[in-house]
Amino acid sequence: MPFDLDTWVQVAAVSGSGFAMGLGAVGAAIGEGYTAAQANLAVSRNPDLSGDIFKNMLVGQAVAESASIFALVIAILLLFLDTGNASMVKAAAFFGAGLSMGFGAIGSGVGSGIPGGQACLGISRQPAVASRLTTNMLIGSAVCQTPAIFSMVVALMLIFIDFSHLPVHPTWAALVGAGMSTGLAAIGSGYGGGLAAGASCEGIARQPTSTANVTTTMLVGQAVAQTPSIFGLLVSFILMFKSFPPGEPFSTAMGLLAAGLCMGFGGIGPGVGNGMAAEGAVRWVARRMSHAGDLMRTMLVGQAVSQSTAIYAMVISLVLIFVV
Amino acid sequence: MGELGQIHQLILHLFGLRLAFNLEVILMTWIAFGLVILFGYLCARKSALLPGPLQALGELLVDQLYQLAEDALDKELAVKYGPMICALFMFLVVGNWLGIIPHLEEPTKDLNTPLSLGVMGFVIAHAAGIRSKGFKSYIKEYMEPIFFMAPLNIIGELAKIVSISFRLFGNIMGGSIIILVVSYLTYSILLPPFLYAFFGLFVGTIQAFVFTMLTVVYISVQVK
Repeated sequence: MPFDLDTWVQVAAVSGSGFAMGLGAVGAAIGEGYTAAQANLAVSRNPDLSGDIFKNMLVGQAVAESASIFALVIAILLLFLDTGNASMVKAAAFFGAGLSMGFGAIGSGVGSGIPGGQACLGISRQPAVASRLTTNMLIGSAVCQTPAIFSMVVALMLIFIDFSHLPVHPTWAALVGAGMSTGLAAIGSGYGGGLAAGASCEGIARQPTSTANVTTTMLVGQAVAQTPSIFGLLVSFILMFKSFPPGEPFSTAMGLLAAGLCMGFGGIGPGVGNGMAAEGAVRWVARRMSHAGDLMRTMLVGQAVSQSTAIYAMVISLVLIFVV
Repeated sequence: MGELGQIHQLILHLFGLRLAFNLEVILMTWIAFGLVILFGYLCARKSALLPGPLQALGELLVDQLYQLAEDALDKELAVKYGPMICALFMFLVVGNWLGIIPHLEEPTKDLNTPLSLGVMGFVIAHAAGIRSKGFKSYIKEYMEPIFFMAPLNIIGELAKIVSISFRLFGNIMGGSIIILVVSYLTYSILLPPFLYAFFGLFVGTIQAFVFTMLTVVYISVQVK
């Protein structure tokens, strides 16, 4: 049965909305569960502090939830926004927006639960630095949200920018690819950033005098762990804003979709790996503050090597966009 | 919502070249410069052994940044690059905070500003590397582990510029897009001030710090 354009846009909006919220619900729930599990451990270790630990757990879980809330906002926008003049390009953009936000919320949700849990454990270990731990947890888990924020930005741009003057044929693939690129690449970076933030809470509890060094190393480590998601954002921007001539062969359109998938999947591993490198550096900076500079340099060189696979993925994506 | 992704440009045609100037960005950059210079002037105006509040703030800032540089580089290099590091951090903080003032925009929201600062950091780091190691061993590092990896190593170095500048650009521009969309949806009621506090003050400060620290550690990786 043939559908008209309005129906297609509606189909894309509702399915995009489903993907956004369905996938977006995965990560934050796991992260919050981890926080709660560690809070239980902390309470059993130091039952006198159950009030403080409980409060910290709730604050940590509230921050970890934000990735899911981003997904909820995008899902509601897709369901209830007045779509205006319908076109197939708009349908593709809505579907891409849903995928971007859905996948993008997974990593940050899981990741930002880790500092919450470690901060609860830290409070039971070292009650004197409870407020410092909560502050560090908030900074760490807020920075973890960056990949989810990138996905939300791409989703909002796909929803609100008017692409309808562009030719339908290669553009649909470019827009879906743009969503996949940022969304998938955000998974690894979000989780990796969480590993680093968790190690920093543990480190501060072990060695409260190392707070400044630990927080600095954590921020640099998290920032570098976010690089794969930044590459994903770059590929998305190129896919959204490069104008493609109409009437390209079908292989070009699939090339654009493949470029998004390539950068997206290629960014997952390096994000997690860089997060592990940052976790190690942060953990050992707390134990051996005197060599913080050496540790940070080793971390950066290690992260650069582990990041090279994301760079290979980016090179292939750019070849797919500009050459093929 | 039409203003999403639009830029006001002045386009000049000189000697057959098409030169585009992003007027707002240039103006906002100069405002940020002016505010940083004003802050410096006010801090140093009445310098005394017993510092006033502004002098104490300025000294604290400079002292902390020099300390960070000293942790990553050694003492001699920290003194050498200290002023650049302080200036970079101050400009980025003021630039990222500028958006919370009505009618002003962050100069870092335009890709050109972070990209030029990223290229600046890249050139400084590599110049420092060549100076401390000598040209031959600098080139030799690109041939690790074997010589045909050189193109990938060069792409890896160039990707650092992309990542450092897009990190700042993505965060600041992303924040401003989210603020724009939420203000549009809620008719600017209740939510936007909190978003300005989060994206402008909090994320802005963290990203300015991260950009500065990464510039410092890129120098330190090249030098050692």
